[in-house]
Amino acid sequence: MKEFKHFNAYSIDEAVSLLGRYGDRACVIAGGTDLLGKMKDVILPTYPEAVINIKTIPDLNYITQSDEMLKIGALTTLAEIAHSEAVRSRCLALAEAACRAASPQIRNMGTIAGNICQDLRCWYYRNQNNRFSCLRKKGGRCYAIKGDNRYHSIFGGSVSGGCMAVHPSDTAPALIALDAKIKTSSRMIDAQDFFEVKPVKTTVLKTDEIVTEIQVPAPPAGTSSTFLKFALRKSIDFPIVNCAAMITVKDGKVAGARICLNAVHVVPYRAARAEKVIIGKSLNEAVAEEAGQAAVAEAKPLEHNKYMVAVARTLVKRAILACTG
Amino acid sequence: MTKESKKYVCPYCGEGFDTAEGLKEHVFKMHKGCGLPVPEGGIRLTINKSEYELKVEPNWTLYYLIHDVLGLTGSKQFCDRGACGSCTMIVDGKPVLSCMMLAIECDRKTVETVEGIAAEGHPLIGAYVKHHAMQCGYCTPGFVVTSKALLDRNPDPTEEEIIEALAGNICRCGTYPQHVIAVKETAAKLQVEKAAGKGEK
Repeated sequence: MKEFKHFNAYSIDEAVSLLGRYGDRACVIAGGTDLLGKMKDVILPTYPEAVINIKTIPDLNYITQSDEMLKIGALTTLAEIAHSEAVRSRCLALAEAACRAASPQIRNMGTIAGNICQDLRCWYYRNQNNRFSCLRKKGGRCYAIKGDNRYHSIFGGSVSGGCMAVHPSDTAPALIALDAKIKTSSRMIDAQDFFEVKPVKTTVLKTDEIVTEIQVPAPPAGTSSTFLKFALRKSIDFPIVNCAAMITVKDGKVAGARICLNAVHVVPYRAARAEKVIIGKSLNEAVAEEAGQAAVAEAKPLEHNKYMVAVARTLVKRAILACTG
Repeated sequence: MTKESKKYVCPYCGEGFDTAEGLKEHVFKMHKGCGLPVPEGGIRLTINKSEYELKVEPNWTLYYLIHDVLGLTGSKQFCDRGACGSCTMIVDGKPVLSCMMLAIECDRKTVETVEGIAAEGHPLIGAYVKHHAMQCGYCTPGFVVTSKALLDRNPDPTEEEIIEALAGNICRCGTYPQHVIAVKETAAKLQVEKAAGKGEK
């Protein structure tokens, strides 16, 4: 790795003031499993001048539950979330998502906030030594559109309509399905509005803002949630497609549904059409099938990733059926 | 930057101030309760039960520090991107990837490497040799360290638990079935030793 300055932040204020000073010339490091890979590969045209360690901030690693809310500190590791009884009993989708992310060692290092703030996966964007100056690097074009796009977006692009990279997070769709809120150093953001892809950015966070807490509201009675992931390998792999769903059933009929797919678009993709299909119905195989079809109705696959549409459709169907029983 | 141009520099974060009062106010506001500042680039850590005080560069990974600087060459680097598990070390009781961890962030941590496991005469080493859980042997230190961390946490793992725990290590020779046998045998041996130890007391 090239040289950089390293700072330990001992409070949220200190991290914010350091970020304010360096602006976009600084990177925040928590688990480091995404950032160090990016820095070793030198994928960006500019190299960070400073790295700000937030692991040294005390009291940001916790899981507390009250009647209406489950609160998770930003520095809580994925392993801690996966093994937490409180998370598993109240929001199964999140526990399952944390459990299926990466590998056991990386789950011991990676944090929940880092997992939702991680950078996109695209082999052109992440190619070593900034080989492809793509749209996300303020370059001319997206190389995936005419290149090998087997792991790229099936719902069109972003960054002014071009970038076809996908958001690889496993916990992001779970948090969106569970209607979580993300607390930052200056405001509260709905998980659903948290993701925004612009050059070099994947979230709506300002340059001097860090995530401090995740809040998951207690689900109403009769709610179940689930998380499914399709990947080539069982471990140490990013999803081809993953899907989280939270469904509330009242008197045999669906009263509320939130379904979110990820790794199919530049940001997590809320399957609103599928939700509409199942609301007010009693769940069975046919309804789930119809919802799966609706979820991918707007899909615009590229040359090599048509199979992802079938995978997404099936995952939505299976997630809905898993919530029923 | 401010650091060069200002007279008073904060020892914690490097921000510069014109007056001592300004610096004092900043330290009280931002760094209250942080303890004394460590000299720049200095870390204290325990590696295999020996204590070290080292000066490290910010861009050194824990792997580089231990393998290249301190010369403990047991752990291996293969992918250098956190995808293979060859460089696994136990940090504060948890198996983590030393290639994806900055050495400067390991201040006051306890690190255990494969050398430490061999030095304490852990039965895992014998079991790995006996069951020949290796071919080329490059991934083996990573597997041994991950297995040791598993046995510390769970003295009697089931086959599924062993497979789950070793899911972050890759062996291109395909020795996977042997690891499960070796870890199971070690677990049984440790249980017997533990029971015998209790009996003596």
